[in-house]
Amino acid sequence: MAADNEENGTEMQIEPEESAYSLARHKLEHLLNKSMRIRMTDGRTLVGLFLCTDRDCNVILGSAQEFLKSTDSFSQAEPRVLGLAMIPGHHVVSIQVESENLQSGTHGL
Amino acid sequence: MVMKSSVEEDEGGWGLGIPEKMRNNADWVDITQDFKGACKELKLGELLHDKLFGLFEAMSAIEMMDPKMDAGMIGNQVNRKVLNFEQAVKDEAIRVKDLSLPELIGIVDTCFCCLITWLEGHSLAQTVFTCLYVHNPELILDPALKAFALGILKVCDIAREKVNKAAVFEEEDFQAMTYGFKMANNVTDLRVTGMLKDVEDELQRKVKSTRSRQGEQRDPEVELDHQQCLALFSRIKFTRLLLTALISFTKKETSAVSEAQKLMSQAADLLPAIHSTIQYGIQSQNDTTKGDHPIMMGFEPLVNQRLLPPTFPRYAKIIKREEMVSYFSKLIERIKTVCEVINTTNLHSILDFFCEFSEQSPCVLSRSLLQTTFLIDNKKVFGTHLMQDMIKDALRYFVSPPVLSPKCSLYNNHQAKDYIDSFVTHCSRPFCSLIQIHGHNRARQRDKLGHILEEFATLQDEAEKVDAALHGLLMKLEPQRQHLACLGTWVLYHNLRIMIHYLLSGFELELYSMHEYYYIYWYLSEFLYAWLMSTLSRADSSQMAEERIVEEQQQKGRSSKKSKKKKKARPLGKEITMSQAYQNMCAGMYKTMIALDMDGKVRKPQFELDSEQVRYEHRFAPFNSVVTPPPVHYIQFKEMSDLKKYNPPPRSADLYTAASKHFQQAKLILENVSSPDAEVNRILKVAKPNIVVMKLLAGGHKKETKALPEFDFSAHKYFPIVKII
Repeated sequence: MAADNEENGTEMQIEPEESAYSLARHKLEHLLNKSMRIRMTDGRTLVGLFLCTDRDCNVILGSAQEFLKSTDSFSQAEPRVLGLAMIPGHHVVSIQVESENLQSGTHGL
Repeated sequence: MVMKSSVEEDEGGWGLGIPEKMRNNADWVDITQDFKGACKELKLGELLHDKLFGLFEAMSAIEMMDPKMDAGMIGNQVNRKVLNFEQAVKDEAIRVKDLSLPELIGIVDTCFCCLITWLEGHSLAQTVFTCLYVHNPELILDPALKAFALGILKVCDIAREKVNKAAVFEEEDFQAMTYGFKMANNVTDLRVTGMLKDVEDELQRKVKSTRSRQGEQRDPEVELDHQQCLALFSRIKFTRLLLTALISFTKKETSAVSEAQKLMSQAADLLPAIHSTIQYGIQSQNDTTKGDHPIMMGFEPLVNQRLLPPTFPRYAKIIKREEMVSYFSKLIERIKTVCEVINTTNLHSILDFFCEFSEQSPCVLSRSLLQTTFLIDNKKVFGTHLMQDMIKDALRYFVSPPVLSPKCSLYNNHQAKDYIDSFVTHCSRPFCSLIQIHGHNRARQRDKLGHILEEFATLQDEAEKVDAALHGLLMKLEPQRQHLACLGTWVLYHNLRIMIHYLLSGFELELYSMHEYYYIYWYLSEFLYAWLMSTLSRADSSQMAEERIVEEQQQKGRSSKKSKKKKKARPLGKEITMSQAYQNMCAGMYKTMIALDMDGKVRKPQFELDSEQVRYEHRFAPFNSVVTPPPVHYIQFKEMSDLKKYNPPPRSADLYTAASKHFQQAKLILENVSSPDAEVNRILKVAKPNIVVMKLLAGGHKKETKALPEFDFSAHKYFPIVKII
């Protein structure tokens, strides 16, 4: 079946895009349920399990904890438990994952 | 694939806030660009997620950076330093001694406003505990402020305890969380009231010393001082009275309740003085027009922001000082009403009291006080009567069952006693729950009434069995007497009341659509009120039978003195009359709705996924657990209400005329009520215009208009004035 499809002209054109798509998907899927640290535009940081994302980079973290920016002198010690939290893509400044998760990920790819 | 590992980038800033377990393997790698790039490859609208995580779960996520959901965001956006009490004292941002009178007045008033806002359902963290002073009254050196801070904490603590104990609140009514704050538990109630009294006496002395003397030239400064002292004096005294009243509610004796009533009256007398001196207090400093919280000395609205749950940060909009006094005066009125309950003696009047009180949609504190006054810790009504005895009294009052009459041979029969005692014991829990239900907010009551019908159905079953057993016993002892359907009638009466209440409350809560009115009113008029009236008249005749027997026995005893008493008013007479009026109102509304429908003046939905039957069955679903009266199913309803069975079938004009007659009938019944109460007048206010409107409609008035009629429920919660536009 796959071979038949590749003979089709239009399918041929899409093919490289398709593979970029599946690569990206694979990459993201591998991160699912891993710890993720997201810094937001207002300086707060959320740490939680990566559960869901979409094209606009809106991210949903599970069991998320909120950390204030370190400059805030007194209330930074304790994180606040947020639970399920969605961070709109345009408020995502940076994303970090634990390196060990990443390494096994690259191996997998 | 290449992952840019820019761990060092700003690790210094990141690490600080991260707890140990996160930092242990904190080999965080930045994947921002990679991640964002990968996301871009996803299709529009495509979600990348785990198998176990779907759109449904995603719905319940809170959205960060949305001011409506993200409580943490606000704290991050203000440009001032949020200090807690100790820090603020250290930084000398607030003072704990040498406070001026205007400062004290302002702080007290803001605290009052916070207290009210809390009582109206906001969290303590966002209201009372935005006042830094109450975080630790020990640190306060100013005696007046210290006593007040302790006083307000005690008020909160007792109110919270009362509300928790009464358990008639839901999350929309009340937040009981204290977030680990100390509620002045290390100081006794007596000590706090004592401290308040001391401050009060001190202030009174000052008030007296600054009072104007006759013929004296008044120094405006002294006058101001006098006014401000008086202002603070009234506030401190008010706090003490409120606290003392709440404390007396915690006592077991009923005398304490009348004591509370007196204290509340005294507190009410202070309100004008408080109201007229609001302007002396300091106001918040900053500009609140930009949506910022008002900042008062001693208050920090954001101090507890991090304590809030991750759910929606319900903005605690603290009420304005101008509204404070009117709220207090209403609260005091409600608490005074609550105190009246100890003057009712009969279980039925207590139930009516609870219903009536609930109709004003009272606040959670007064509702809870009513509950805890009714059933005190020792499970006795008002702390003195056993619930079982109350139920026996209610039975005597309602149906006078022979088994409870000292004149009957069953009265001293052991077996009969066992039967009735165990029945009454079984009654006690459902009736306590019924009373508790009336303490909930109006919307929750309906749901709970639907559920309690199950318990009453069980009770009904038992009542009928006990009736039968008692009848069997009585036939052997006194063959001329009967014990039929006595207890059963009584339980049925309550059953019907609950069902009627359930249906009617749907109007108050605006649950029904216009096209549903006709079957609701039909069910009420043709069915429930008909049953209620026959139940009441059965109870009435049972009473009369009992009275006759008592009379006969008395006449036998004395030389037959013809005690031809005048026809006494029947105890249930008023209720029978009112039921007739209600039935006529419902019947009138039912016919009105049918006729309007015939004229195409009722908008019906395009039933797609449901049908009228589905809606009907949903509306009456709780009645399915009831055996007597049996539920009327949709098919039966359709058959019973079919107009085609009449020959000739009535036209809309006939139905309008019939409706008009029903309203007329209701009016006649109500106008003959001796000593009409507010409810009678409310129904009359609906009946009268409806008579006229129905007559007009019967005469073909505006028959052609396509405009839909309006139903105005402003005069009465359950019956609208029909308006044709």
